[in-house]
Amino acid sequence: MMAIRELKVCLLGDTGVGKSSIVCRFVQDHFDHNISPTIGASFMTKTVPCGNELHKFLIWDTAGQERFHSLAPMYYRGSAAAVIVYDITKQDSFHTLKKWVKELKEHGPENIVMAIAGNKCDLSDIREVPLKDAKEYAESIGAVVVETSAKNAINIEELFQGIRQNCLENGLRKLCTALWRTQIGGSSSCRNPSSLHVCPVSG
Amino acid sequence: MCSPEEAALLRLEEVFSATLARINSFVLQPLLEAGHDWKAGCPVYEVTLGRCLPLGGSVGASVNAPEPSDPWGRECLQLLQQLHRSSQQLWEVTEESLHSLQERLRHPDSISLESLLLLHCADRVLQVHLEYIESYTSCVAVQAFQKAVKRRSEYWQGQRKVLQQLLSGMSSEGSVGTALVQALRQPLTHHVHQYVLLLLSLGDTVGERHPTRELLVHAATVFGNLQSFMRQELDQAMATQALWHTLSSRLRDVLCTPAHRLLQDSQDIPVTVTPLRAERVLLFDDALVLLQGHSVHTFDLKLVWVEPGQDRCMFHLLTPEEEFSLCSKDPQCRVAWQWKVTQAVCQTLRGKKDFPVLGAGLELSEPPTCRCGAYTFRAEGRFSQATYEGEWYWGRPHGKGTLKWPDGRNHVGDFCQGLEHGFGIRLVPQASEDKFDCYKCHWREGSMCGYGICEYSTSEVYKGYFQEGLRHGFGVLESTPQTPQPCRYTGHWERGQRSGYGIEEDSDRGERYIGMWQADQRHGPGVMVTQAGVCYQATFQADKMVGPGILLSEDDSLYEGTFTRDLTFVGKGKVTFPNGFTLEGSFGSGAGRGLHIQGVLDTAALPSDPGSTRKRQLGLGVFPVESRWQGVYGPFQDFVQAGCPGDLQEALLGFHVQSSRELRKSQEYLCCERTHPEDHAGRMEDILEELLQHRAPEALQQCLRKALNNSLHPLGKLLRTLMLTFQATYSGIGANKHLQGLAQEEVKQHAQELWAAYRCLLQVALQCKGQAPEEDEDAETRDLQVHRLVLPLVLPSFYSELFTLYLLLHEREDSLYSQGIANLSLFPDTKLLEFLDVQKHLWPLKDLTLTTNQPPGDHLPHFTRYSLVRDKCFLSATECLQKMITTVDPWEKLEVLERTYGEIEATVSRVLGQEHKLPMDDLLPLLIYVVSRAQIQHLGAEIHLIRDMMAPIHTGGLYDFLLTALESCYEHIQKEDMRLHRLPSR
Repeated sequence: MMAIRELKVCLLGDTGVGKSSIVCRFVQDHFDHNISPTIGASFMTKTVPCGNELHKFLIWDTAGQERFHSLAPMYYRGSAAAVIVYDITKQDSFHTLKKWVKELKEHGPENIVMAIAGNKCDLSDIREVPLKDAKEYAESIGAVVVETSAKNAINIEELFQGIRQNCLENGLRKLCTALWRTQIGGSSSCRNPSSLHVCPVSG
Repeated sequence: MCSPEEAALLRLEEVFSATLARINSFVLQPLLEAGHDWKAGCPVYEVTLGRCLPLGGSVGASVNAPEPSDPWGRECLQLLQQLHRSSQQLWEVTEESLHSLQERLRHPDSISLESLLLLHCADRVLQVHLEYIESYTSCVAVQAFQKAVKRRSEYWQGQRKVLQQLLSGMSSEGSVGTALVQALRQPLTHHVHQYVLLLLSLGDTVGERHPTRELLVHAATVFGNLQSFMRQELDQAMATQALWHTLSSRLRDVLCTPAHRLLQDSQDIPVTVTPLRAERVLLFDDALVLLQGHSVHTFDLKLVWVEPGQDRCMFHLLTPEEEFSLCSKDPQCRVAWQWKVTQAVCQTLRGKKDFPVLGAGLELSEPPTCRCGAYTFRAEGRFSQATYEGEWYWGRPHGKGTLKWPDGRNHVGDFCQGLEHGFGIRLVPQASEDKFDCYKCHWREGSMCGYGICEYSTSEVYKGYFQEGLRHGFGVLESTPQTPQPCRYTGHWERGQRSGYGIEEDSDRGERYIGMWQADQRHGPGVMVTQAGVCYQATFQADKMVGPGILLSEDDSLYEGTFTRDLTFVGKGKVTFPNGFTLEGSFGSGAGRGLHIQGVLDTAALPSDPGSTRKRQLGLGVFPVESRWQGVYGPFQDFVQAGCPGDLQEALLGFHVQSSRELRKSQEYLCCERTHPEDHAGRMEDILEELLQHRAPEALQQCLRKALNNSLHPLGKLLRTLMLTFQATYSGIGANKHLQGLAQEEVKQHAQELWAAYRCLLQVALQCKGQAPEEDEDAETRDLQVHRLVLPLVLPSFYSELFTLYLLLHEREDSLYSQGIANLSLFPDTKLLEFLDVQKHLWPLKDLTLTTNQPPGDHLPHFTRYSLVRDKCFLSATECLQKMITTVDPWEKLEVLERTYGEIEATVSRVLGQEHKLPMDDLLPLLIYVVSRAQIQHLGAEIHLIRDMMAPIHTGGLYDFLLTALESCYEHIQKEDMRLHRLPSR
């Protein structure tokens, strides 16, 4: 028996910034390919061990086209974390990112962990968004930030490592509030994807 | 050669025949004339000395005689007539026997010994004798001779001398009556005695190996037995006759009947009775009689049980209403009485005397403790004056029986320890003629307990549970639609009153109340839905609404405040209109003045989004789903806790009968077409065994499906009752979108309870086999089993009501969506793919895209290609998605969705010539394309139903994602540009 912690992660960002490429890269060197089915590059899972726990990422891709923006809330509801991806070679995509952050702050799940990924860092010679801007912005909103290259597998692990870290801290906070709620007699929240549950794991 | 014994037999028969003839002429016929001779004068009998042949018509005289006026005289006459008839038969047989003897003596060589009537028809001869003895002893016992003689005493005094000459047994002492008794008895006993002697010596003369030897031995035994039987019978008759002299005439009138024979008298062997008082105890062959002064207490021996007492001088007697002991001075007397009583009981139950002649064995058997009999109760109480007919055990009704009261009440069913217990049908007549209340119920210790169906004379029907004779637990009370105020209550009862959660439908007012009851009144939170579509939630107290409530009108307006049952707003309140305007203030209405409002109208608010109006669900949280139908689950739990006893199955789980409203005749009431409970008892083990055999996942599903579909299976019964409550709540008037929340949580709860019920049954099955019970499953496994295994099995039972609620709830979105797909259906494939911004390299028409890119002048080939591909793009995915509506199982629907995705990916991979993983940027437009082409009706209702029924464990997982993707397509198709963007005309 090993505890599995499920983390729903939602991918946001303009079309063409390489949202799914990052996840594909992350999921590629998987040690348990066969366990979880996927929906193409749109829904993927990856389980990584962490201490005596297993962390299972449930990664939901979204359509980046402008016209589908209004559908995004359906996807990010109940997410523990959101990875917002921009293309360092496209200033526009950074603007879109800011819009997402704003929306998540207003309508997103409480305490959602936000991670900013500046993709295509292998193309830094045609960079439009300076790393400094991104870092400053991330700091201002308390988000994880890394520049990644899905192509060259740069910083991918680090990105998800950061998400895990933040989610854990968040989860701890949540657990405390849940305990507090039960103590005062209120009903504790029902199942949450980021909550702990125990199930047998083969191997 | 003939033996001298045969000659002696011949002479014996000659003498007996002559004696019978004389008895007939000089005794029986004159006795029968007793009735009319005073007027007619003394008839002159032609007496032929010697033999006269019996003639059929010789009884004519007595037949024509007028009947005596008093009943006693009539009875005597009847007995004498009977005696006359059996005497004639005896005479005939004697003549026949005589004839056979004569033939034999005449032709000893040609006619064998066995042709003698006495040998080859010994049993027939015996039978005739027995009949004669019976009628004779009956006459003796009631002193028929004495009475008849008394009527013509002068005649008989005159005849005495003649009779003395003619009949050897006629004594000169005593009354003529007594003398006649002797005269008839003596020849008979002598005759039988001689039979035995002659047959025995005849047997000695023929050799051991003579073929007739066996017949001779048989005949000798038969007549030997007859002789001792006759002696006993005659003694008993004499003793009985003697008894009457010792009793007052009143007691004699009560006790004296031809069938009564005195077996024992406490004056001969003294016994006393406690605690009852009796100065004399008489044991007759069919009754035990206690005499105290002028009172007579008679106990039918059929219903007397003998029990040994604590000490050697007493023993107990149990009767239906009395228990008493007979005490004697010494043990011998006690033994004599106890033996006699026991024997008498045995004989009465057997219906014949215990004697070898009558075919009974000699063994001293104990009377059975279980008996059948009829008894009318005398003591005060419920059974007073009622007659019970049926099975008894130790003095009490026990087993199957019928109880009938003089007032027409009638109970047929099972009894235990003297009380109604088990299944029983009770009819209670009502004042008006031919109207009955009919209870087909389970009873426990004399009152209704458990499941029952009651059809009242008012044509109301109650189907449900009882306790201590009152409605208690879950039950449905329904009146026929023809009654002036048709009404139906489905819910909980307590001590005969509606109490707890219940649904009442008043079809006259067009209202359905869903909520809490107390003491037969609406009390506590309640929801009212009306035919008009208006519904409200409020708090009731003693049938009245108190405090503020929520009222929802059909057009999605919301009123929060106080209002009355006829829907008038009174006092403070707030109306929220569908357009978002609110009106808050003080409401009131006066006669003829319409509605008065003093308040503020806020027109600033935006229209509320459909999501929030959807969330306006009534009853959520106020009727906790776990306890909502406790009255249905409760009996099942009791049943399982009791270890699933087959005999309790029906009482606890109910039974189904054909509707018998048309049956109005009392006899028809008494039959109840239900499966025989014994069948259940046998089947219960099979049912449990079957559960044990099918525990592997696939077998389990089959097994559960079978069980739930079987209306005789405990799980099937439970499901049916739950369906009943569900329909009572949510069908008809209850099809209101504001009840969807209540309904969906109820269905899930039912699935959970049914799974728990299965688990309980399984544990009982394991216990029965002596196996260790299964470990408790953890919450996660249970959740998965409930959602994946049970829910798909039970959902079809609730689907039509439940889906209707979803349809109503999502009506608006579904209609927008319909417009969307209708509009998109006008687009040709390529146009639609283009419109949805599907990347061109993913189009499954690579060669054709080139043609579409050709200059617009080239119309014709373009058009042909176009229609060729019309139905080809993602056809497999579209067709796959359409399969979603072929099942009600949410799990299967999700699988359909997964396969649909697989089809899309397969198509794309084929187009690209390599395996391709679609990111959402590409997948969503393709999915929208497929959804719009699949044209599934009411997709919103479908999606939300699936989501509600999905196991919580899937939240965030693959299925959640697929469903969300589908939902986002659904949402997107509703958008304005999808609905209104028209293909530019070419």
